[in-house]
Parts: sequence; C-alpha cells; structure tokens
Amino acid sequence: MIQLQELHIGYQRELLRTEHLFLAAGKVYALVGRNGIGKSTLIQTMAGLQKQLAGEITINGQSVSSLNPQEIAETISLVDTRFEGVEFLKVKDYLALGRAPYTDLFGRLGVKDWQMVESVASDLSIIHLLDKFTDEISDGERQLCAVGRAFVQETPVILLDEPTAFLDYINRKKLLALLKLLSAEKNKCIVLSTHDLDLCLDHSIPFLLAAHGEIRIHASLSKEEIIQAMS
Amino acid sequence: MKDWSLKWMMFCLLCFLPIAMYLHLMAGQIEISFASFFDSFWNYDAKNTAHVLVREFRIPRLAMALFAGAGLSLSGMLMQTLFKNPLAGPYVLGINSGASLLIALSLMTSIRFFQSNFGLIGTALIGAFTAGLLMMAVAQRLKSQISLLLVGLMFGSFTSAIVSILESFAGAESLKSYTMWSMGSLQQVEFGQLGFISLIFLVGIAASFLLVKPLNMLVIGEKSAALLGLPIKSIRMFVLMLTALFAGLITAFCGPIAFVGIAIPNLTRILFQTSNHRYLIIGNCFIGAIFLLLTDAFIQVLEDQFSIPLNAITSIIGAPFVVFLLMRKLR
Repeated sequence: MIQLQELHIGYQRELLRTEHLFLAAGKVYALVGRNGIGKSTLIQTMAGLQKQLAGEITINGQSVSSLNPQEIAETISLVDTRFEGVEFLKVKDYLALGRAPYTDLFGRLGVKDWQMVESVASDLSIIHLLDKFTDEISDGERQLCAVGRAFVQETPVILLDEPTAFLDYINRKKLLALLKLLSAEKNKCIVLSTHDLDLCLDHSIPFLLAAHGEIRIHASLSKEEIIQAMS
Repeated sequence: MKDWSLKWMMFCLLCFLPIAMYLHLMAGQIEISFASFFDSFWNYDAKNTAHVLVREFRIPRLAMALFAGAGLSLSGMLMQTLFKNPLAGPYVLGINSGASLLIALSLMTSIRFFQSNFGLIGTALIGAFTAGLLMMAVAQRLKSQISLLLVGLMFGSFTSAIVSILESFAGAESLKSYTMWSMGSLQQVEFGQLGFISLIFLVGIAASFLLVKPLNMLVIGEKSAALLGLPIKSIRMFVLMLTALFAGLITAFCGPIAFVGIAIPNLTRILFQTSNHRYLIIGNCFIGAIFLLLTDAFIQVLEDQFSIPLNAITSIIGAPFVVFLLMRKLR
C-alpha cells in the first residue's frame, strides 16, 4: 500500500532515510525511536505537510507529492500529538469535521454522516462526550476525539503521532486493539508513533524502528533487542 | 446549548432589530411623524423639511449604522477565525490603520488621484488590504497570540505617527476635514450613495456565507484544515479580501470605529455558545447592527447638548469588554 522509496527526510539537515520499505494494507505499524530522531518529521512528510529531501512516498502507486489537497484528504488522515480543544466546539461537531472532504460547498451533513460519527464514537466509547465542548474535556478524552475524527474521515491510510501519550492504561490497550481491528476489517494501513513498546509487543504489532539515521521494519524483535538497537 | 435555543435567540434578534431601527430613526432632535417617513420615500417633496431631513440625514445614517455594525463585526469574526485568535479584529490588527493612513494621505496631501470619491474609497480598500497582507505575513512567523496583537499595535502607532507628521504640514481646512473624519460619524454618506453601498455590503455578506465551511474547518487550525482538503492559501486570500472590503469601506465612509470588530464577535460567540459559522455570521450581523444602532441613537439623543464622537462611545464600551475577555481567556 504505502511505499517509501529511498526516502530522505529532514529540514535543512537530513534526519532519517529509508531504503525501499513497503507498508501493507490491513496492518498497523508502530514507529518507534528516541526523542528527536525524526518520528514526527516522518509522519508529517508522509502526510504531505513537509517536503522530503529526496526519494518518494507512494500510496497505491501514486506519489503523495502529486496529490492535490482534496485527494490527500480522501487518502490520508493524521492525528496530531495534541489537540488543544476549541471554545464552543462540540465533540460531535469536531468529529463531523472528518466528513469535510465529502460534504458540499456549505458543509452540510447528511444522515449517513451523522451515523458515521455515532458509530465511531461508540467504537471509541466516547458517546457520552458528544455534546460536550472540546475545551472542557480532559487531554486523554480529547486525544480519543482526535483519533475519532480520523476514523470518521474514512481514509485508507491513518497516521497517528503519539496517540497514546495522554491516555490511561486501559484506553491505550483499547485503542491499540481497536486500531488492529479497524485495519484488518477495513483493510487500512495505520502507522502510529509511540513509546509504548510493551503494548505493541503484546499486540504483536510490527515495528518501524528509527535509529542511527535509518528506518527499518522489524516484524519480530524482543524488547531487549529494540532497546539495544535504539541506543 | 440545544439547537432550538439558538434558533430562539436568532428569532429574538430578528424581532429586536426593527425596534432598534425604530429607536434610531426617532432619536433625532426634530420630531418626525411616522407617516412622513413613508412619504419621504413614496411622495418625496423637496420643499418639505421633514422629508428632506429623513431622506438626507436619517435614512443614510440608519443604513450606515446597520452596515457598519454588521460589517465591522463580520470582519472581526473573519479575522478571529483566520488568525485563531479571539482578540484579533480589524482595529487591533491594523487593518483600520492601513485604511486610515491612506485616507490621511488623500485628505491632507494635494495628490490629485486621492481627491476623487473613487480615489478615497479605492485607497482605503488598498490600505486595508495591504495592512491585512502584512499582518498575515507577520502572523506566519509568530507563535504567540499576544505578539501578533503587539505587532498590530506597533503598526497602529507607526501609521498614526506618519499621520501626525502629515497633520503638521496640512493646511487648516484639510486638517479640519481629517479631524472630523477621524472622530467617526455615520452621517457622512448621502442618500444617492446608498444604493451602491448597500449592494457592496449585501454581496459581501452573501460571500461570507460561502465561507461557512472553510471557517468551520479553520477553527481547528490551518494544518488540520489543510489535511481535510481545504485550499488554505486561496481561502486565506478570500478571507482577507472580504475583511479588507468591510473594514476599508466602513473606515472610508464612517471614519475609524474602534472595538466593534473585536467585541461583537466575542459577544456573539458567548451568547450563541457555538463555533458554527452558519450561526455566527447571522449573529454577528444582527448583534453588530443592533449595537451600533443603539450607540448612535444615544449619540443623537444628546446631540443638542454635546456632540460626542462615535469612536469615543464604542471605545468606552468596547475597551472594558476586551479587558474582560483578556481576563477570561488568557489570564
């Protein structure tokens, strides 16, 4: 599904490079690596927000840099580390923004759009938050909402930048299980950056390991091996 | 807040607007019967003082209160959403200053182009738009909401310094006309100009409804909005142009009117408890218009004893409200 072809990413200086990597549909990948190694940069680059220094990212054979904003919105959704909340913006309206690529000029939502919002909210167990304002719920709840908005967007690729950072242990476990289920059921390719090695190992999620300026895929590594590779 | 209470609130505003308009029309010093209002439209008699008064003074002033109130509030709302900053507005961000600077140039220098009616409006629009672009460029480099306001403030001081220099060179006559303009007044438009002005404002308000979806997306930040398929750069330009249109026109016709553009959008948001721009646009038009109608009616009532500049009243009400907002949001 996603191919990273001899990709070099970074700003003025190169941070990370890959050889030829292939990320399959129907799978979840955990992007791990130490602070500042360039995980967020990779995610931003994959979402088309940041230009790569060299190489190419393709999704189903199409180069990401050739997609227009509308095509990107229909292909990739991104969950940022932090969603600050917006005054007087209700959770349900925030989730419904995920339908924006599919609504008309005035952004009117149909019955199906609202059904989508409801079913995602029930998957994430945030139904009780729907009528609350996004700036009046907790950081963890907001993070679940941000994930929900990406689900509502219904894209084949979902990128999540440390989605578990503010979540409690139970919600972390739930979220990972849900991501796995979703990727398998709807044949999505999901990449999340995380520091939760144990949780990923529990769910036997393959690692995208960023270390020493390079990203490699490791399907089965023990915790000790990963830590050693990172340091 | 439920949807029905939003609709109820809009219904109340809809009822209150004609009342405010009526109060404004009746607030003048000379009493005029209701009948002569209609007659001045349908059976206009140029020899009848009441008719002339209505047509040349009351109606233009009423229309400008409506348009300036709605337009300034809308442009404030647009700025606040675009900059994701509740304290943005055409006045604090220097959009007005840009227009004022060019108007000062046109009133106090002898450059021929500026003297024409078209020149005055055109230059005000150019000034407003340029200031908007400048602020946009600065905003890209700033992280903090406060710094942007400080830059706007500095820009305002800078332009007013240039204006003072112009004033020191200006002749008595042009100095007077500039000073009169800078106090802000809704009484400077003639009946004949109203058609043209209403047309522009109605088009502007209609155009802002085209922005409902983009504005609702911008609420969660430019980056997230872009990833939802919003063409950020063109939307930014569209929003800026619309803001400059409202703020520039109003500044050209009515002088600088402070604080309406920052206070009313916040008041609307707090009253409506929503971030949906479909309602916010309507709310801002109504609340802004009602606010300026009542303010100006108050000025008219006192007019035989003192003539208070409009700008002074809006600042006296607006400035404490903005301080209240600061304490509420930023602490």
